[in-house]
Amino acid sequence: MEEKRIYLDNCVTTKPDPQIFGVMQEYWENEYWYPANFFTAGEEINAKLDNFKALMGKTINAKADEIHFTRGGTSANNIAIKGLLMANSQKGSHIICSVVDYPDILTNYAFFEKSGFEVTYLKPDENGFVSADKLKEAIRPDTILFSTTWANHVVGTIQPVDEYTKVLQDADHKIFMHVDAGQAYGKFSMDMDKVGIDTMSVSAHKIHGPQGVGFLYKRTKTPLAQVVHGVNRVDNLETGGINIGSLAGFAKAVEITFADLDMTTKKLRELSDYLLDRIMKEIPDVELNGAPGQGRACHNINVSIDYIEGEAMGMMLDLQGITAATGSACASQGLKPSYVLMAMGKNHMQSHGSMKFTVSKFTTKEELDITIDKLKDIVVELRRRSPLYQEKTN
Amino acid sequence: MQYSQKVLDHFMKPHNVGEIKDADAVATEGSPACGDQVTVYLKINEETNVIEDIKFKSYGCASNIATGSMITDMAMGKTIDEALAITWRDAMEELDGLPPTKAHCSVLAADTLHEAIKNYQIAHGQRKVQDFSKDTIIDELKHVIYPQVGEDIVTLKMVKYVGFDDGVAIIDVEIPSFDKYRENVAEEIREHLEKYEQIKDLQINM
Repeated sequence: MEEKRIYLDNCVTTKPDPQIFGVMQEYWENEYWYPANFFTAGEEINAKLDNFKALMGKTINAKADEIHFTRGGTSANNIAIKGLLMANSQKGSHIICSVVDYPDILTNYAFFEKSGFEVTYLKPDENGFVSADKLKEAIRPDTILFSTTWANHVVGTIQPVDEYTKVLQDADHKIFMHVDAGQAYGKFSMDMDKVGIDTMSVSAHKIHGPQGVGFLYKRTKTPLAQVVHGVNRVDNLETGGINIGSLAGFAKAVEITFADLDMTTKKLRELSDYLLDRIMKEIPDVELNGAPGQGRACHNINVSIDYIEGEAMGMMLDLQGITAATGSACASQGLKPSYVLMAMGKNHMQSHGSMKFTVSKFTTKEELDITIDKLKDIVVELRRRSPLYQEKTN
Repeated sequence: MQYSQKVLDHFMKPHNVGEIKDADAVATEGSPACGDQVTVYLKINEETNVIEDIKFKSYGCASNIATGSMITDMAMGKTIDEALAITWRDAMEELDGLPPTKAHCSVLAADTLHEAIKNYQIAHGQRKVQDFSKDTIIDELKHVIYPQVGEDIVTLKMVKYVGFDDGVAIIDVEIPSFDKYRENVAEEIREHLEKYEQIKDLQINM
């Protein structure tokens, strides 16, 4: 068994908080019933689920009945986008998102594009921001939906959802807004009363909850067509059976995360700032990808390290017990460089040489020190091997 | 873990990394845009044609570095004709295999070695500069790997037509529109052919 692995890929999934296991176990062992009316056990679960919804709703200033449990973030995104478009297709066939959105949005949009919808893909600036002005310019009389990724999954850039709200509210017809909040929920405070979001997806395992559950926020009056058909146990949006233990674990994770959100995010910000500061000071020819400072999600650091390639860096870190991510084509499934970085105007070398470190509340400063010390050695060694670095130094 | 232990060993502690200042032949293949670039330096005994020293540098992933290390080991001490006979498959086998998506790394290492030797042979009158023809294009396509299976697109019979006339090269490749490696294969073809100034216009039809 290897020494404790240093895990810096918290953008993908996070370590479950140990406090959720006892809660989950209790439900799996003793309160495993499905919700039902009139019968004691079913009613008890109904009440529990309502409590969970109320708790989650409160974290974003939404009502309990605006929270719909799903089988994770991707499921919530599908239910929302497909449901919105199927319910509103008679009003128009133009939809908007950006080229840097999360694949859940892009693949859903591609699906509808093939089915006859017209899509405008907004372009980001060099920091990954998609401006509200661009959204305004893209709106047409037949636009029915705008989707965005609140905090970018690659570079952490936080999109101006409040400005989008204003643009959409100023439009002369209703345009729905769907938000993927996978990287945003639990990273900063949200108030559904202040933003014009119609639907928003959240995933439990990004905030130290269990994998395989999430929720969809849906504003009360927003019409959604049903896209997942089946037996209605809890909800007619995500039909079928429920995972009561995981939902209980999710609720516990939400409770812990939001007990003191400011303190949690402050810690994440301090850790990621520390990591970035040391990297920038101690490794030459490195640049930050994405927005600086408060413009990025507090857990995300993405840097391009010149003259070397990310899969090799990631592999060397991995072999030394550190998990991090790269935007290199060599590490991707389709052998393509990160579409987010390329859309931000980075060149191939910057994309191939990008490393993403995402911290969590379980990350320690000592772990970051070990990571940076090893990374420094790795960069020196890989640059020694690189013909590009040789060209530069000669 | 998809890499063999041998790949990891050669990646973590590669042999023959560096430059030869007074090298008899040098070649660089690949490009930063494609995410991998290799330079090979050779010191060759003029009388015996034996490779007396060989070094390489690599900008690339773990398998790129590992194949650079392995193929330079294989070529060291060989005559240039023997080294020319080392194929990318030989290098890959010596590494106990590579994941199919990484086979092109082995191709790049072998191509760079062969290119350096050919540069040497041309400079020493041992080889004529080949006339450019349709066959040159086909030879290059034999070095384009389909990452799904780790085999070249000519052997896989994915190349349906190659034409070259008046500076225009036309290549028809059979690959489904939903194939995730479609762009990658097109990019690899462009990368292999961009060095030929005879090609003024390259049309890849998929």
